[in-house]
Amino acid sequence: MKQTVRLGSGSGFWGDAMDPAMELLGKGKLDYLCFDFLAELTMALLQRQKLKNPQMGYVPDAVQYMKAMMPAARANGTKLISNGGGVNPRAAAQRIVEDAQALGLKGIRVALVEGDGVLDRIDDMLAQGIPFTNMETGSTGFRDVRKRVVAANVYTDSAGIISGLAQGADVVIAGRVSDNAVYVGPIMHEFGWRHDDAHADRIAAAITLGHIVECAAACTGGMSSRFAEMPRMGMVGFPIIEMWPDGTAELSKVAGSGGRLDAFTVKEHMVYEIHDPRSYVMPDGIADFTSLALEEPGPDRVRVSQVRGRPAPEMLKLVIGYQDGWIGESMSFFPWPYAYDRAVKAKQSMLERFERMGLEAEQIHFDFVGLNTLHGPGAPLPDRGAANELNEVGLRCAVKTRTVEEAEKVRRAASHLWIMGPGGTSFGTPMKPRPVVSLWPTLVPRELIKAHTEILEA
Amino acid sequence: MTHLLRDIAYVRSGDKGDTCTAGLIAKTPEDYPALLRSVTPEKVKALYGDWIKGKVNCYPMDNIQAVVVVMEQALGGGATRTLRLDQTGKSLGHALLRLPKVE
Repeated sequence: MKQTVRLGSGSGFWGDAMDPAMELLGKGKLDYLCFDFLAELTMALLQRQKLKNPQMGYVPDAVQYMKAMMPAARANGTKLISNGGGVNPRAAAQRIVEDAQALGLKGIRVALVEGDGVLDRIDDMLAQGIPFTNMETGSTGFRDVRKRVVAANVYTDSAGIISGLAQGADVVIAGRVSDNAVYVGPIMHEFGWRHDDAHADRIAAAITLGHIVECAAACTGGMSSRFAEMPRMGMVGFPIIEMWPDGTAELSKVAGSGGRLDAFTVKEHMVYEIHDPRSYVMPDGIADFTSLALEEPGPDRVRVSQVRGRPAPEMLKLVIGYQDGWIGESMSFFPWPYAYDRAVKAKQSMLERFERMGLEAEQIHFDFVGLNTLHGPGAPLPDRGAANELNEVGLRCAVKTRTVEEAEKVRRAASHLWIMGPGGTSFGTPMKPRPVVSLWPTLVPRELIKAHTEILEA
Repeated sequence: MTHLLRDIAYVRSGDKGDTCTAGLIAKTPEDYPALLRSVTPEKVKALYGDWIKGKVNCYPMDNIQAVVVVMEQALGGGATRTLRLDQTGKSLGHALLRLPKVE
C-alpha cells in the first residue's frame, strides 16, 4: 500500500482554463489528475446534443484534455480521472482510445464508467412505486412533467472508478459520478478503503478534501472576498491534495504559480454550496465539516485533519431535467441626465407593447441595472433625485413563456423602443429566446443503481 | 455609528437547485460571536423580502468561525429557469453583508 497519494485538481467546470492543469501535470509530481466537468444543467445540454447526434453527449473538453495530457501523464505515471463522459461516456472513451492510438500510446487502458443514466428506466421505477417526490418543493406531481423529461442521471459513488483503477486503468472517464468521487475513488483505491463503518471517518476526510479542491482555483484565491490581495490570479495555480492513510491531508500548489493557498482561502471554499455543514451528504459517505481542523504548516500549504463522518446514505440523488418553456430577454441602457426616469418610462412602454401584442407570459421580471439587478429587494434604492444623477441606468426585462413565439415578442417589443423609447436609449445586440430545462431533484434507493465499468485498450 | 456585517465578515455564495447557500466567515476569531448574534433566519428573510419564498436556516461552524446560511426557494426557480441575471446566486449572498452588526 502506498504511504501517500498525490492528486491534482485539473478543472473546476466545463470551460475552465487548461494551462494550470498542464502546469500541475508537469510539476505536481502527481499520482492522479482529476477533473470535474459537470454542473446541474450540463446533463440536459449534453442529452440534447446526443439526441441530435448519437456520437455526442460527452463534454468535448474532456476528450481534448486527455489527448493533450496522455503523453506526459504516461511518462510521469499520472492517471487521469474525469466525469466528462456526461450522458455518453462510451463515445468519449472510444474517442480517447482513438486519440491514444494516433499518438502512438499503445496499451493505454481507458476505463469507461456507466450506470448513472436512468432515462430509460423512469417508467419502471414509477411502476415499482418510487414516488419521485421533489426534494425542493415536496411536490408529488412528477407525472405532470413525465412527457417532457429530457435527462435523468443519478449522482453515483466512486465504486465504478475504483473498479476501473483495480483493472489497471490509466484513464477513467465516467458519467454523472458525484463531483468529488473523482477524488474519493483514487484515494479509496490506493489505500484499500471499503465503504463500511470502519472507514467512515477516512472516507469523510477524502470527501472533504474533494469538496475543497473540486472547483480548482476556487480554493487558491479564485472567487475570493480578499480578491485585491490575491497575486497573479490570471496565472493561478490549481490545488494539490497529498493524502495519508490515516485520513489527514495537506493542500498545496505548484511553487511559483499565482494565487494563494492558506487557511482563509480553504475556509472560503469549505462553506461553498453546502447545506448543513454537519452532514455533507455524498454518495460515498457523509462528512461533518464542523469536526475538522485547519493548520498552516508553511507558505501556500494547509493541513486538514480530524475529519469525522458517517457511512454512505441509503438514498441517492437523482436529477431529472424536463423541457419547461422559453425565456425572452432584453437589455437597454439610459444616460444621464434623468437616467432613472428614462428607464422607468421605458419599462412602462414595454408593458404597453406587451399588452398591444397580446403577450402570453407566465412571469414578467424587470431589473434596473445599476440599482437592484443582483440583490432585488435586498438592495436599498436611492431616492429618485439621486438615481437621476447616476451616469447611466439599465433596464433588463426577462419573460417566461410556454412557446418560442411568445418569447420572441419580448425581443420585438424591446426593438420597438429604438424609436418609441426615451431619448438616448442604447441597445446591444438583441438576445435570442432560449429554451428552459427545469430540474426535478429527487431520491432513489441506492440498490437500484449499479455502476458498470469496462476497459478499452489502445 | 452602526456597524454592518461587512465590517466583521466575508461571504461566498452559490446555488443548489433553487436553494441559495451563503457562507459567512468572521474576519477574526474575535468577530465570530457578533457574527453569530447578527445572522438569524428572520433577519435574512426580512432582508430579501419576496426574493426568498422558502425557509432559511443558519448553521454555525465554530471550528472555522463561519455561519452557513441556507435559503430555500430563493433563486427564482433555480439557475436553469430563473429570470434573474444572477442565475447561480454568486452575487445574492453578498447582500447579507448589509445586515447590522449586533454588538
